[in-house]
Amino acid sequence: MALLNIKDLHVNVAGKEIIRGIDLEIEEGRTAVIFGPNGSGKSTLMGAIAGLPGYDVTKGLIEYKGHDIKQLSTDDRARLGIGLSYQYPPAVKGVRLRTLLESMTSDREIIPEYADMLNLSGYLDRDINVGFSGGERKRSEVLQLMVQTPDLMLLDEPESGVDIENISIIANALKSLLEKEKPITKRTRSALIITHTGFILDYLRADVAHVIMNGRVLGCGSPSEIFEEIRLNGYSKCSNCFAEQFKENNIC
Amino acid sequence: MLKNNIDSNRLEVVGYDPTILSCGNFLVLDNDIAEISCNINGLHIYPLVKALEHIQHVRDNLFFKLVDKDKNDYTRKAFESDPVGYYIKVDPGIKLEEPVQAAFLLCTPDSTQIIHNIIELGDNSQLNIVNGCTTARHENRGRHIGITEIYLRKGSRLGYTMLHSWGADVEVFPFGVTEVEEKGRFISNYVGMTSVKKIVSYPVAYVKKQGSARFYSVIYARPESNFDMGAKAVLEGDEASGEIISRVVSEGGNVTSRQMLDGRVSGSLGHMECSGLMLNDHGVIHSIPELRGAHPDIHLSHEASVGRISTEELSYLMTRGLSEEQARALIIRGFLDIKIEGIPAKVQQLIDDAIERSISGTI
Ligand SMILES: Nc1ncnc2c1ncn2[C@@H]1O[C@H](COP(=O)(O)OP(=O)(O)OP(=O)(O)O)[C@@H](O)[C@H]1O
Ligand SMILES: [Mg+2]
Repeated sequence: MALLNIKDLHVNVAGKEIIRGIDLEIEEGRTAVIFGPNGSGKSTLMGAIAGLPGYDVTKGLIEYKGHDIKQLSTDDRARLGIGLSYQYPPAVKGVRLRTLLESMTSDREIIPEYADMLNLSGYLDRDINVGFSGGERKRSEVLQLMVQTPDLMLLDEPESGVDIENISIIANALKSLLEKEKPITKRTRSALIITHTGFILDYLRADVAHVIMNGRVLGCGSPSEIFEEIRLNGYSKCSNCFAEQFKENNIC
Repeated sequence: MLKNNIDSNRLEVVGYDPTILSCGNFLVLDNDIAEISCNINGLHIYPLVKALEHIQHVRDNLFFKLVDKDKNDYTRKAFESDPVGYYIKVDPGIKLEEPVQAAFLLCTPDSTQIIHNIIELGDNSQLNIVNGCTTARHENRGRHIGITEIYLRKGSRLGYTMLHSWGADVEVFPFGVTEVEEKGRFISNYVGMTSVKKIVSYPVAYVKKQGSARFYSVIYARPESNFDMGAKAVLEGDEASGEIISRVVSEGGNVTSRQMLDGRVSGSLGHMECSGLMLNDHGVIHSIPELRGAHPDIHLSHEASVGRISTEELSYLMTRGLSEEQARALIIRGFLDIKIEGIPAKVQQLIDDAIERSISGTI
């Protein structure tokens, strides 16, 4: 069954239509990747799924676990199992990372354990993201997801600005969250990953890739083939080649 | 229960807690001293009226020497009435960690309490005082006038903490002046916990060579509250420093927050930070940070802001499953959380508790 089912989604930001009719499905236990040029609407799509304020759904359907969640608040969606790792996580002055994590779980013992896994033990008593480097912020996002254990992870460029060693740390954490050690049919958690570099995919296998341009999905296909295509020809030259490929790979 | 059927909870709320180890106690009910004790050699706690009677130095050099008795009607009124309050003195070199606990309780409705306190720290001594002020019942009407004169001799350090939980119908007029001698350190902490009809307070510190004055205040203003509060540090000795930090939350109350750093001589160093958070559109936060420099070789700066809780921060916390209510509470707590350097953990704990009460409204 599809965990997430998006149909003809239109989203306005600041009065302007950014998402212009998107269809997208994610199966339970699957990892999908989104490719698309800067400004194509990838982060906007994730914001709309997570229910962030300012992302105005004007038309279409966002169905999650069989329910239309368009009217639900951000926190209701989070409690239903939607988790977002921000592209640009904001700093929250005065609130310690530990305090936030403790309000997210009743199982406090996991906090230092996970923090240690992500090399963030020394950061628990600092204010959330205040003075964190780019890579530290990304690790802090993943730490928060680990404590939250969402069923659908929206990962907005989880590896951008992260050094090689830390990418592997982040990827390992995500792998365990996504139960990659289990056979695919036994996995229950899903992810939607935005990446430009594709580095994360060297560690974390994605099952399918979607290409977004100008607020629309061009189509989907095998992550490695599409990524190769983008690397060779870029987005602008290649909007047609994707179309060809999508027809051949009838996997979405 | 204390004598006179006073609810001791009211006192604990403002830090007057007999279970906490202290090096002295002082309690005033209305205009009478109800408790006075001093447990440490080198520390002296006298009723001011006795000190004036027996100690010429207090009469000649301390009493109404920093605060001008003719400043206004309130100070004149205080000068004319029998002084009620303490004279606390610490001998040179004596360093005390446990705080002196003092509390001033307004018991009789519609009465006026007039308090005059004098503190004198000898050379290189150290003391912490927690002053709690409250009414016997929150509903009570009344008025409190307070005169405070603080003398910090060379190299001494005072942590002076005021925890206020007034009634909604009380007017409060404190006048405090501190003299900080060479290398002395003055740390003033203020927490306003409950609504108050009106409070006007603008303590001033005159800081000599290499001395420092730091003022921290936290105000949570509920509807119908009127705070006109501030602080001023006059840096009049070479390399004197001042810091003023104020955090104000308005949940519908009105707060005027006046801060001034006045750098008069070479090497004056000062910073202030006045942040205001508006929770709704009923109250007013009027922040007035002032810097005055009278020498080129000084460095004074300020940061000031008034605004609402950032929607981005709020929704960030909500994406983690926190309700809007929970997320707001975390952000407000974080905003008011002030960690003060140079005071004992026990006093910080009293401050933290007071701030927590002011936010949750559990008084
Ligand atoms: N708050 C906003 N106000 C105005 N325009 C906005 C706002 N948020 C997004 N946009 C616009 O919407 C478009 C899509 O932005 P979005 O952040 O979704 O792009 P993206 O695909 O994630 O790009 P990138 O790869 O650079 O992260 C951009 O043109 C952007 O300028
Ligand atoms: Mg983006």
